Amino acid sequence: MNVPMGHNGPRESSAEHVMDRIAEQILGNRQNGTGDAARLFASPLARRIAHERGIDLAALKGSGPHGRIVLADVERAAAQAQPATPRPAPETGGAPAQPEASVMEAAVMGELMHAPPSAPAPGLAQPMPDKQILALYEPGSYEIVPHDTMRRFIAERLTLAKQTIPHFYLNIECELDALLAARTRLNGMAPQDGPRAFKLSVNDFIIKAMAMALQTVPAANATWTEEGILRHRPSDIAVAVALEGGGLYTPVIRDAEVKSLSEISNEMRDLAGRARSKRLAPHEYQGGATSISNLGMYGIDSFDAVINPPHSSILAIGRAEKKPIVKDDAIKIATMMGATLSCDHRVIDGALGAELLAAFKAYLETP
Amino acid sequence: MTSATDFDLVVIGGGPGGYVAAIRAAQLGLRTAVVEREHLGGICLNWGCIPTKALLRTSELYRQIKEAEAFGLRVDGVGFDFERLVRRSRDVAGKLARGVAYLMKKNKIAVFDATGRLEGPGRVALAGHDGTTLPSLTASHIIVATGARARSLPGLEPDGTRIWTYKEAMVPDRLPQSLLVIGSGAIGIEFASFYSALGAAVTVVEVQDRILPVEDEEISKLAHTAFVKQRLTIHTSATVEQLRDTETGVSARLRTADGNTTEMAVERVILAVGITGNVEGLGLEEQGVKIDRGHIVVDAWCRTGVPGLYAIGDVVGPPWLAHKAMHEGVLCVEKIAGAKAVHPLDPASVPGCTYCTPQIASLGLTERAAREAGYELKIGRYPYAANGKAIALGETDGLVKTIFDAKTGALLGAHMIGAEVTELIQGFAIGKTLETTEAELMATIFPHPTLSEMMHESVLDAFGRALHI
Ligand SMILES: Cc1cc2nc3c(=O)[nH]c(=O)nc-3n(C[C@H](O)[C@H](O)[C@H](O)COP(=O)(O)OP(=O)(O)OC[C@H]3O[C@@H](n4cnc5c(N)ncnc54)[C@H](O)[C@@H]3O)c2cc1C
Repeated sequence: MNVPMGHNGPRESSAEHVMDRIAEQILGNRQNGTGDAARLFASPLARRIAHERGIDLAALKGSGPHGRIVLADVERAAAQAQPATPRPAPETGGAPAQPEASVMEAAVMGELMHAPPSAPAPGLAQPMPDKQILALYEPGSYEIVPHDTMRRFIAERLTLAKQTIPHFYLNIECELDALLAARTRLNGMAPQDGPRAFKLSVNDFIIKAMAMALQTVPAANATWTEEGILRHRPSDIAVAVALEGGGLYTPVIRDAEVKSLSEISNEMRDLAGRARSKRLAPHEYQGGATSISNLGMYGIDSFDAVINPPHSSILAIGRAEKKPIVKDDAIKIATMMGATLSCDHRVIDGALGAELLAAFKAYLETP
Repeated sequence: MTSATDFDLVVIGGGPGGYVAAIRAAQLGLRTAVVEREHLGGICLNWGCIPTKALLRTSELYRQIKEAEAFGLRVDGVGFDFERLVRRSRDVAGKLARGVAYLMKKNKIAVFDATGRLEGPGRVALAGHDGTTLPSLTASHIIVATGARARSLPGLEPDGTRIWTYKEAMVPDRLPQSLLVIGSGAIGIEFASFYSALGAAVTVVEVQDRILPVEDEEISKLAHTAFVKQRLTIHTSATVEQLRDTETGVSARLRTADGNTTEMAVERVILAVGITGNVEGLGLEEQGVKIDRGHIVVDAWCRTGVPGLYAIGDVVGPPWLAHKAMHEGVLCVEKIAGAKAVHPLDPASVPGCTYCTPQIASLGLTERAAREAGYELKIGRYPYAANGKAIALGETDGLVKTIFDAKTGALLGAHMIGAEVTELIQGFAIGKTLETTEAELMATIFPHPTLSEMMHESVLDAFGRALHI
């Protein structure tokens, strides 16, 4: 039996750990009588990163020569993170393992290898083959824009989301006048330059209000896994940033409940800027339990967003607009903004989602 | 049904990108043809990589022979026969070009001695040398591998006699007394090194603030110092604004970093200000192929977006390197043939080499690029002056620099200057392709005494464990 090479050098202890796990896998496989899968080929870098992030190499499908697992496979698995199978994270405290990733990949390659516990029911409709689609259009009447990595990633992720997450949607309207007044007042007080300068946007208030709402309704600050629901302590909120020429990133504002509006604002500006120039490090756009997507600037009234796995909700924000409303039995003009919360019903029931959205509205209307 | 003009794959251009793509296609069972208008082997074998390396071998030997005394040798009457050294370079190129013709035959690849042009989906029109139209070729897949040529700038156009591109610079009839090289990329620097070693007074002008601007800044600096020591004159942050013929050669108006202009008289000028793709006259636009700043736009699989039409090599843009062209040729064809485990080219795994003295070789991110990408770094350095083999060889100028991601131990970049680094860099390239971390590099046994030990020590140094420094 060949045991793949581990590490030596400064990281001996972690190397031993990797070796132990590999040995386990080999022995385990043997006992299961699937000895042919026994030897695990993976690059040193793939092994190290997998170990750090708690990803089970044996569950991945290698895309390297002779099926060798390479860094890209591990990164893809980490990105598709949908912590569904119970697997305690190693002592380094990485994210839980995501064996689904391999299934996703296999599915993408057209050969569903094995069904995980949460796998979509067999018999899901297959997309139309390219050939059939192309046949519907006159050659020369279109151009083919090849997929880049981001486009493929979005396609895979959101298809996964719609196939595995039972979505439901809640709408609410929020009155923004108090917020807008507070914003004008705070921006007026802001230092003009220097490290403490800031300029708050409505979106910064939305992030903060959602962060507070998640603390008020902690059961909704959660992620589905097969083992159990992960209830998160911090309010880590992903914010969708559209890229010029298509695609998007969702950088995460962490611990948003304890950050001041100006901190959130400046951090958001930095993250959005680097997202647009594609300079975000993976840890800056991974994690979180909810996201915010704001299309108000395009004049959209309201919309339903697709949940970004492994999140359990996403808040879709429409435009703010002056409208006549009835208040204290009189018609008044107020600035109203529509918000739609998409919820993962596995984690968030109707009443819970409603509580979260109501808390959000309350924080937003009394900033 | 086979016919003499119908193929699975037609490759336009028989340079390293094109002929390698054709060989791989033949190996995979595709009926393949190459259309080449001038010379099999392309720029690389005929007017690029190979003939320049032949010239540089002569100048390197010459430099070493002049230092023979320090090695205890007596060599009297050192000199050179210029016509002969140029002829050797041409002979080397000719031999290899014939080798490519043999490879085509061996792989049963049809070669059409003609200029190709896209005529419609899956059709390539052929024009013979006398302009006659030959029967068109048809194919399900067409790869454009037409390469590139020297770029010229307004006011700086080559005239073929005094103002040269690399082509004329490779076949001079005699050694010029003085030479101005405009542009300090690999091509400019290699010619500067060659001519200066043989005794010409060489001036290099670079518009950016350092020579070899794609290299790591530390390497650029060391190269600059070494060249100045060899009596090259270097102007950085400077431009040549105008070239004018004079009785004895060329007068160049130089604007230096301080904003002043001076006139400079030289016998010959070499323009090495970059490369532009051969995209004209191919019918690319008509087929709907996108062209951006002189190069064809392709995706990670070398697809142009027009079904069945692909492009590889210099014509799709930098890095303009023969091995990059060949790699693209292979991956493009394998993808066409539906081979498994084909991967897009990773730019960080393309080594770059410059064969001047001292040699320069690099791979992956420079220190600055790595910092800008947001990595936390561990950087190792090991100087030639501390390596036993380098001292024995009498080659004590140089440095091996390695850059690692502090978090993961991934090798991000390697940058080397000194004797034989162009042969050494491959060690790191293999490591990078296998996705090594510092641990495997540290655990590898390097033979003693070799220059390669510096690679080991540089890695050790990055993690505070260098043994011999
Ligand atoms: C002086 C010099 C030194 C160099 N040194 C190195 C080096 O040391 N290492 C390195 O890696 N790279 C080096 N290069 C770069 C290297 O030569 C190129 O990267 C390489 O040749 C690119 O290969 P290619 O197949 O894309 O194109 P090319 O080699 O340019 O080949 C293209 C071929 O297509 C043919 N062609 C063009 N249009 C048509 C048409 N319409 N029909 C038919 N045929 C056509 C041309 O005649 C040519 O033969 C050097 C270049 C120069 C100029």
